[in-house]
This record gives sequence, C-alpha cells and structure tokens, in this order.
Amino acid sequence: MSSFSQKKPRNINEASRVLFFLSPFIFLLILAFIQVLNLTLIKGENFRTKADSNRIYQSKIYPKRGFIYDKNNILLAENIVQQDLKVTLQYVEEIDLILSNISKLLNIDFEQLESNFYLRSSKKNPLEPFTLIKNLSEKQIAKLSVNLSNLPGLEIETSFSRNVIHKEISASVIGYVGNISKNDISKNPKLKSFSNQQVGKTSIERDFDPILRGKLGYRIQEKDSKGNLIKTISISPPENGKDLKLSIDINLQKKLFEEFKGRKGALVAIEPKTGLIRALISSPSYDPNILNTINNIDNVNKIFSDKNSPLFNRAISGQYPPASTLKPFVGLAALEAKSISWDTEIIDSGEYYVEGDDRPYKGWKDGGHGVVNMKKAIIESSDVYFYSLAYDLTIGNLSPFLEKFGFGSPSGLTQNESKGILPSRKWKLGYIGDFWFKGDTINMGIGQGYITATPIQIAVAYSVLANKGELVQPRIIESIGKNQTLKISKDFVTIENEKNWERIESALLGVVEASNGTAQNILNKKIRIAGKTGTAQVKSINEEEYELVRENEALRDHALFVGYGPVEEPALAVVAIIENGESGSAVAAPIVRSAIDFYTENQ
Amino acid sequence: MKNSPLSFSVNMRMSSNERQFSFDNWIIISVLILSLFGLAMIYSASHSVEMTIRQGIYLVIGLIGLLFFAVSNFRKMEIFYLQSFWIGLILLILVLIIPSEAATKRWIDLGFFTFQPSELMRFILPISAASFLTRNPITKAKDWWFVITLTFLSFYLVSIQPDLGTSLIVLLSGLLPVVISGFPWIYISAGSLLTILSLPIIWINLFDYQKQRILTLFNPEADIYGAGWNIVQSKIAVGSGGFFGKGYLQGTQSQLDFIPESHSDFIFSVIAEEFGLFGVILLFLVYGILIYRLLLVSFLSSNRFAKIVSGTLSIILLAYISINISMVIGLLPVVGMPLPFISQGGTALIVNMFTIGIILSLRKEA
Repeated sequence: MSSFSQKKPRNINEASRVLFFLSPFIFLLILAFIQVLNLTLIKGENFRTKADSNRIYQSKIYPKRGFIYDKNNILLAENIVQQDLKVTLQYVEEIDLILSNISKLLNIDFEQLESNFYLRSSKKNPLEPFTLIKNLSEKQIAKLSVNLSNLPGLEIETSFSRNVIHKEISASVIGYVGNISKNDISKNPKLKSFSNQQVGKTSIERDFDPILRGKLGYRIQEKDSKGNLIKTISISPPENGKDLKLSIDINLQKKLFEEFKGRKGALVAIEPKTGLIRALISSPSYDPNILNTINNIDNVNKIFSDKNSPLFNRAISGQYPPASTLKPFVGLAALEAKSISWDTEIIDSGEYYVEGDDRPYKGWKDGGHGVVNMKKAIIESSDVYFYSLAYDLTIGNLSPFLEKFGFGSPSGLTQNESKGILPSRKWKLGYIGDFWFKGDTINMGIGQGYITATPIQIAVAYSVLANKGELVQPRIIESIGKNQTLKISKDFVTIENEKNWERIESALLGVVEASNGTAQNILNKKIRIAGKTGTAQVKSINEEEYELVRENEALRDHALFVGYGPVEEPALAVVAIIENGESGSAVAAPIVRSAIDFYTENQ
Repeated sequence: MKNSPLSFSVNMRMSSNERQFSFDNWIIISVLILSLFGLAMIYSASHSVEMTIRQGIYLVIGLIGLLFFAVSNFRKMEIFYLQSFWIGLILLILVLIIPSEAATKRWIDLGFFTFQPSELMRFILPISAASFLTRNPITKAKDWWFVITLTFLSFYLVSIQPDLGTSLIVLLSGLLPVVISGFPWIYISAGSLLTILSLPIIWINLFDYQKQRILTLFNPEADIYGAGWNIVQSKIAVGSGGFFGKGYLQGTQSQLDFIPESHSDFIFSVIAEEFGLFGVILLFLVYGILIYRLLLVSFLSSNRFAKIVSGTLSIILLAYISINISMVIGLLPVVGMPLPFISQGGTALIVNMFTIGIILSLRKEA
C-alpha cells in the first residue's frame, strides 16, 4: 500500500475542515486575550493592591498599659510579661494534627486545647493570629522553640497581662480588663481597630482606658504564602499608655477593707477640701486578676454567678435610702425656708398625725423623745420632729434644696455611677404614675420613702457640711503621666444665715459626743468626729405592709454612719453602709472612726 | 523569500539532499524562543537550578528528537505508524496496572525518567489514525468507525487514571483525523448533539474534585482560602502585572509562593505578572507565528496524510495553548494542561518537540 502518494478525492477539502475545527480554539484564545486586557489594564490597579495585601502584613505592636499608683506612689496595677502560643489558621495544614502534637508536646489535655481553639479562633480572617495558649511556662517555651519549625502557623509571642497587686482590696477602685466585646464596639466604634487588645471593663481601668491603653504600633512586613518572614519594611513604635496616680491611700483602703470582711456594704472616704477619694470600698469584692487573665474559666464563672454580686460597685452604684443621715439637710432646708427656727421646740410623743388621717407616722423610739428642738432632734435622731419639719416645708421646697448638695445627680467621679433618686411631684408622676401625697413628704423627712442616694453622693453632701458650704467635685485621679495635675473644680452651696453651718455641726458633734447621742460609742475627744447615724429600710413599703415591716425592721435594715473629722480641720468625710447591719451606730460608726483616726494619724 | 509559503514549490526544485535539511526557520526559531524562555520562567517560578537544568536536558532530548523526525523520510516508515498505536495502548494499560502509591496513575517510572503514556498517546494517535484512514484513496466507513472505537478506548483508559484534561486531548487527537479526513457532517452534527445531551450524565460521573473545579470557576471568591485559592491568586498575579510587568524575578505573587504549580500549569500567570500585558502580547505573537507556519504545512501540502497529521497536531497545539491560558485566568475550570514548550514537564516538552519534527518532515513532502 502506498497511501501517501494518493491524490486526494476532489469532494473533500481538508484545509477548510482544519480551519473549521481550529476556529473554536482561536475564539477561546481571543476571549483569553480580552480577559488578560481586562485583568491587567482595567482591573490592574485593584489587583496590584490585592497582590500587595497578599504579601504585606501589618502586625500590631501592643503598647504597654499604664501603671496605676496610689497617693504615696505605691504600685497598685502593673503588667506581667508573658509568652503566649499564637496560631495563624492560614498556615496550619491540619488543625487536628497540630492540636494533638501540641497536646503531646506540652502535656496539655487535648479536649481543653480543642475547646480553647474553637473559643478563640476566628474563622473570618485566617490571617489574623489568635492566642491558643496563654502564659506558657518556661519548660513549655523551651519545648516549643525546638519544635516550632515543624509546626507551621504557630508562633510564640510576648504579651502583657494585667496584674492588680492588692487584688480584692483595690478591685472596686481599679476594676479589670478584658478582650473587646461586640458590645464594647457598639458603644465605641473606635475600639474596633483594637481587636485582640485588652480594654478596661470597669472602674478606673475603664474610665481612663484611652489614657492607660496608649496607642498601637505597627510592624509592616513582607511574608510569603506560608507566612515566612521575608523582610521587615517599616516599624512605627507604639505609644505606651500613661501611668495614673490615684488619690487612694492603699494602706487606709487595706485597713478598712479588712473591717468589711464578711460583710456586705460600701465605704467612701473623701478629703472634703479637695474632693480626693482616699478610700473606696465595695464588699464583697473579687480578685481582678482572675478576670484579667481568664486562665481558669471556673473561677471566672464563680465571680459572675456569685449571688452577692462582687462585681457590683456598691460605693458608686449602690442606691440606698439615706435614712436619718438626711436629717441635717432637712433641718438646714427648714432653717433656710424659715419654716422653723433653730430653737423651736416640738413635742415628740413617738407618733405623728396629719389632719384628716388616722394613720400614725411612728418614730423609731416608742414613747418618743419628749420636747425636742433641732439640735436634740439630730442628736437623738427624732423622727417625729423631722416628720413635722418636712410636712411644713413641703416637697416643693425640700427637693430643690437637697439638689444643691448633689442629691439626685451623679457626682461625676466615674462613668458608671448611679444617680440615686431625688423625688419631686413631677418625678413621681412620671416614674410611679401617681400624684405626690403629703405622706411622701413626711417619709422623705427622715430619708425614707422614694429618696435614694449612693454612698458617694452622701459623702459629697457631708463634705459640703464639713466645708461649710463648699462643694467639691469628687475625684480619684491625682495626676496623669508625669506632670499633669488636675485642677479642683469647686461650687458653693450658699445659705442666708452662715451661722446655720455651725449649728448643724454642733448637732452632728453631739451625735458622737453628747450623752444622748446615737453614736456615743465612738466618742474620742482626741480626734473629734461630727456625724450622723442612719438605719435604712431596704424595701420600699406600701401602706398595708407598714406595720408588718416596722416590726421586722432589725432583719431588713441597712446600717449607716456618715462622719467627718477632725472637726477643727476635717481631713476626711467618711460614709459607711453595712447592708443588713442591724444597727447603724454599732457596726458602721466604728468603721468611720477607725478610718478618720488611721488617716489622721498617718498623715 | 526562502521561507514564504511559496518556498514549497521551491522545495520541489531542490536536490533531495538539499531538501533533507531545509527547514522552516520561522518554526525552528519560535520553538527555540519559547522553550528557552520557558527555562527562564521555570527558574523564576521555582528558584530551583536543579529543576531548570533537568528541563534543559529534556529540551536537548526533545530537540534531538525534533531533528530526528525532521530529517527522516516519513514515506518509508509506514508500518511503524500503524503498529505504534498498539504500543501506545499497551502503555496506557500498563500504567493502570502497575502498582503506584500516587492517587492518580499517570506516570510510568523508569528510574531516570518518569513519563506519561497519555502524553505519548496524544502524539501517536493522530499519526496512526491518519495513516489508517489514508490507506485507501477514499476513506471507507468501517475505517472511520474503527478509528473512532480505538480513540474512545484510549480516551477511556486515560480518563480513569484519572486525567480529564489529557483524556480530552487524546479524544481530540483521535477524532480530528476522522473529521478532517471527510467524516460526513451529518454524523459530526449528530455526535455533537449527543455530547451536549449527555452533559448531565458526564457531570454525574465526574469526581468531586473535578466538579469542585468547575463550580469554583463560576465563583472563585466563594472560598478564597480553599478551592478558589488557585484561581484567585493566579488572577491577582496576572492583573497586578499591569502593562510592563514587575520585572523578571520580581513578581511578588510567584516569588512569594502565592501561585500554586507556578512552574508547571500556572506558569502563564508568572509570565503575565513579571512581563505584563506587553510580555503576553509578545508571547501570543510567537505562538501565532508558530501555529501559522505549522498550519501552512497542512494547507499547502498536496498529500492527504500530511494535511491530516499536520492539521491535527497544529489544532492540538493551539488547544493546549488556549485551554491552558483560559484556565489560568479563570475562563475555564482547572484541568491539568501544561503551556506548550514553557511549562515544566519532560514528556510534554519532548512530545511537543516530536510534533514539530514530524510537521517539519511532512513539510518536505509537498
């Protein structure tokens, strides 16, 4: 056969058939060329950016969080350097294998490692490293460093963990830090760029977070597709957070905290002249380091599920009826309104009646205090005297006067303060939906009923008494950074007769020093304290419950004492509240005495 | 005008010795440019001197083969063409039954060289088919059906390796001689229609990874870090090259390992990234000249066998080029298809060189 020499049959045109079957591929090539034009010329810029973001990594350099000191420069909060194991998902080939390797290498329970992984890994961005194990031990670091080259995607990174040195003692002042939550970001969108950085969650750590946190630095590096570092392009260093010097005296705080042991309650010690807070206690407390590190989830849950709510800062957020501690202000209001004079006497028979109402308003002492003027009424804490005073004064005069002392509005010490309730006709209509009754005013005369105040508000109000009219905004920061000292912002409560300040003070002195004073148990002539006891009903009561609750008073009431001293030149105004403390003078007053004595003696 | 299309007639006037060594320089030069450029790109993509040298050795082997085929006289090797198909078929069966640790059975390991029988088949098949179909002046119907049957058998053997890309090329290299040699249009149309109708059945029989590749094509961004990674990274590489490219060895996508298989199937993205649109246009130009000169052999030869073989081999070459580039820039699903003369891979380069050698030889047989 010699097929190659054959002439082709005339009816078949191979060339045209070749062209025909060639054409789809020519068409495909033209399409491909158009696509190349589209990718390079039209979308080129976009793809160049993408190529850069592929290889260029911006990693954050975390700033050092500012330290916190007390007024005597004793360190309260610092950072502990620790080594964490970080994982970048993009570079991990088989996560289960890696986890089981780490588990064997470091002798860590595999399931715990797995739960850590699912808790902390972010599926959204596999290029963002996350912490798998916090605070590696030296042994673990040594074992890891040797094997790290066989474990792609893993790296050891230095991080800071917050350490509050005095733990429970200063928790209510310092607060704790934690990872930024979605909730935090929704409140402050700027926080978004701080993801992975810890932010303050409560108290000082939160209020001064932007100052303490500092500013992130960035490291711009070129990496290959497996995450290997090619070169560092640039570094912009972080700006470390500024240190804070607090007005707190940690020794005072420590001493008072111990006196609160096993009790629920709060204490605020303020320097009346400057408004500086020297001690701030909320009991029970918690160890902030447990929340700072979250090394042990069980301990964290214990804090959050504690029925006594240790995280609740009673000193600034607890709202208590001021009870009898309000009486000096009611008295001042009456003197100011001239509805009564300093010496006017009233007969206290133990019960008070309003015209057209058969129901008695009972005083705390059966049989009453007999003939009382204002001084005696404060010293012995006559309820009937102040029922009468408030009734004559009316709510329209009483509330605006109390407002001047800071009742009903936050003191401005921190962000998460409660403002208490300073009731008025309008307030009751809006919040309770009912008209203001005379009985409401009468109850308010002894600091009960609708009125509530936070310990910090009561402390500020008593500072005004100690200062004879000067109202100082409370603050807890003495200085920020090295030389920034904050100014004192002052206000004045003016009254027509300046003499009334002295009169009220003489009555408050009498509470401690007179033989009939309710806080006679803390008498000490060396350091003289002016103060007032109080017994606050926990539950707001309606008319039906009135009798019943009165009988069970001891079981339900909070014990209060507010005092300032030394009277000649008050160094400290202190409010102490013991929840369910039974008797104000017995438990609360000695704490205030020891606060003022300790502070005065250690100045 | 030695190399103009008219030079065919000139050839006729040459002495037989002169004709023996008269090649189309356009073809020789463009093949040399492409394969040397390929070596440079393989180095850029892999930074492996060893891999580049090995590819260089394949290139030398390929060039020797090219010369061997080019100077040989095809008229005298008729028997070889007909029998070579059976050798190819035996190799295709062998590769399936030889135990191998790899998941796919594509390679036969000769110790010093691993080669792909399927690559060899796509070279043997057109020649055997054409020689079988042209043994009579007018092709008989049973010859067509015989070739079609053998083609589908070869296609099946390659497709179960599995190697979808090469199996389709094998199918093409067997069917093209059939349709070029005058297979009736009515059957061609019916066959095409049947193929379209059976697409759903084909889809069902694809492997999961093959389906995934096709799905990924339509929405690579759906899983940037998974199945879509190749396509997305390759498009970024091509696009970021811009008009003049980032320069040789300067492509960040390829140098920092963002493009997988950058030295083999995805080498086009390295070219586009480092030499830009400008480089791509030059590449298209060289490929264009090569394909055009190869097609001329088919168009201008008066010999049926030469027409069919050179036509088929040229179309296959163009199919490789167009499918590879389309796949790299996200127009077609990712199938294993190298870029001719440039991608790393010994068998493909050597077989392509053989192809050129045969067409050069056929060119003399005007």
